Amino acid sequence: MDRTEATGLGVSLVGHVALLAALSLALVTAANHPVTPPAMEVSFVDEVGAVSASPAPSVQPAVQARAPELGPVEDAAPAPAPQAPAPAQRDLVAAPSPLPAPAPPSRVQPRPAPPATAGTGPTTRRPGLGDLDPRAFGRDPAAHAETPPAAVMSAQAAANIAQAITRQVQPCADRQVYPGPGAERIVTPIILRLNRDGSLAARPRIGTQRGLDDENRRYADRVADLAIATFTGCAPLRGLPQELYNVPRGWSNFTMNYRLPG
Amino acid sequence: MRGFEVRHYLIAAAAWALAAGPALAQAQPAPVQAPPSAQGQPQSGDDDQLVVDVTGGRRAALPIAVPYMPTPQPADTAAGNTGALGRQVAEIVAADLRNSELFTPIGPSGLPGVSFPQVTAPDYGAFASTGAQNLVQGFVQANANGSITVGCYVYDVASQAELTRQGYVVQPRDWRRAAHRCADTIFSRLTGEGGYFDTRVVYVSETGPARHRIKRLAIMDYDGANHRFLTNGQWTVLTPRFAPNQQTITFMTYENERPRVMVYELDSGRARPLVPGNYMTFAPRYSPDSRYIIFSMAMNGNTDIYRIPTGGGTPQRLTNSPGIDTGGSYSPDGSRIVFESDRGGTQQIYMMNADGSNQRRISFGGGGYATPVWSPRGDLIAFTKTGGFRIGVMAPDGSGERILTGGGGAEGPSWAPNGRAIMFTRGLSAGQLWYVDVASGATRRVPTPLDGSDPAWSPLRPN
Repeated sequence: MDRTEATGLGVSLVGHVALLAALSLALVTAANHPVTPPAMEVSFVDEVGAVSASPAPSVQPAVQARAPELGPVEDAAPAPAPQAPAPAQRDLVAAPSPLPAPAPPSRVQPRPAPPATAGTGPTTRRPGLGDLDPRAFGRDPAAHAETPPAAVMSAQAAANIAQAITRQVQPCADRQVYPGPGAERIVTPIILRLNRDGSLAARPRIGTQRGLDDENRRYADRVADLAIATFTGCAPLRGLPQELYNVPRGWSNFTMNYRLPG
Repeated sequence: MRGFEVRHYLIAAAAWALAAGPALAQAQPAPVQAPPSAQGQPQSGDDDQLVVDVTGGRRAALPIAVPYMPTPQPADTAAGNTGALGRQVAEIVAADLRNSELFTPIGPSGLPGVSFPQVTAPDYGAFASTGAQNLVQGFVQANANGSITVGCYVYDVASQAELTRQGYVVQPRDWRRAAHRCADTIFSRLTGEGGYFDTRVVYVSETGPARHRIKRLAIMDYDGANHRFLTNGQWTVLTPRFAPNQQTITFMTYENERPRVMVYELDSGRARPLVPGNYMTFAPRYSPDSRYIIFSMAMNGNTDIYRIPTGGGTPQRLTNSPGIDTGGSYSPDGSRIVFESDRGGTQQIYMMNADGSNQRRISFGGGGYATPVWSPRGDLIAFTKTGGFRIGVMAPDGSGERILTGGGGAEGPSWAPNGRAIMFTRGLSAGQLWYVDVASGATRRVPTPLDGSDPAWSPLRPN
């Protein structure tokens, strides 16, 4: 090995060591920065949600999203930059609702934005595209229904109200006395009509009882008494949201199914 | 909540699918049975109404307020002043309800006074503070013809509603019956069962040392009041039974040391042998229509069950197996008879048709079974488990055997007319009368002036 070869070998060794050190340092650095999601604070609210979580669905069409007249097909100017994804769109308008009003809250998820092609070249409207309804591809973000939001009994609100009612009448339910064998199989619906202040607007009506058989039929009237006493003993109801009093499935009229524990 | 959301969504999806057509419907997810709604969960009712499920209750005696009953105008009657009668009626009503073990009466003493106008317009607030869930109010009023009227009202305190009302016009001497009938009305309205307070019990009253025991037939109200003896104790008596029409009583007596069945007429006080001659007869019981009596008769070393018209006639043999067949009891519809027999080697319960056909054994548990009695409802048969002497019940097919009493020494069950309670003897040497609530198993002693055994509970007394 002459001097030149020795020098080359030395340089090569130093270079490898340096490369190894650099890679090791990079790995250590990466390991020292794990990706940890930020902590999220969750709180459980025991109060009734007075406001519906979903905006009021509308069956009215959105504001016209295209020009009254279609222009000629022309090349579009290059898009300057990718646009942010379109805001959440609901296709309640596009989908004819077979249900009579009120329509249930929409469960349609926002459509993902189409793959971004902007910046890759000019986009040209293909022949005949203007004959189709552009709503089939998503509406103009600026378009919106002109019906103002209204209070609607969402599933969440209904659950909250049901829990609030149960909390208030449960102590009176627990006071009722079991009349005899088999009475726990009787389910008694009572139909209730309430005033806005939570008091009864009319005497409770007994619906058709379920679970009656030869053994427990003798207790039917008594269990009906207990059902009424369960509600009237803890009425008037308090703290129910006024906004959801007189809406479809609101608490102005509701049915309470009462039964004894098994 | 989640179940509701899922179901609600599926309902909407299904409706949309149906409207959109079969092809699209096939593209929808298959419907999923929504889980039952948990307590307090909203449901979508038939008319899309908010539905709330509430489950609650307890197994305990029902607190009920029974204040003294006022009189509109104090007046003297053959049974005392109407003001005093109002207090006594309230006390008897409270005692009846307490005796049932299904109620916890509050009052009459210690409760606010009730004026006559308040009888129909209760001060609910005053009684709600006592913890009472129901309220009984009433009055006692003297009538121009010498009778009295006892008014009886039942209210729900929470609902502030009247549940029922009854009025009883009786002679002053029957004021206790009016109180019992008021209690029956309350019991029936608040439990769904028939009452049993306006009833009587005939039983064997016992006194004296064991070797010279005097056993007399006695009758009293169910609560021990109005007690009187029907026989003088010259002959030992056993197994008295009320006729369903309450006109006669049949029992067995050891007249001249020979057991024989007698029929006693309650109105006249006369007694006669059921079967003429010197046959050894015992264990009598009436048919539901009171027209027949079944009994056991020993002939030629064999004891079988016979049937004979209550007014007398020719006995008809219903069983003919070797061994002792006895203790027959009719089903409420009169179509079948349950009885005990040792034909299989041990004392067991058997069933047969009313004409003696289709005899079959229905008890198969350990130990012996005796004195089967069919419930007035027809759903149960009470019996004495002879191993340990306990009272139990079983279904007519022998299933569901359940022992109601503990401690032993119990025998001779007799059903209350509503089929909810059973009276029996406890204590084999010096007996006492007790009854037990069939549903809860709660027991209570029936007061008697002397020792007692072999109770027979009457039906509800006619109005």
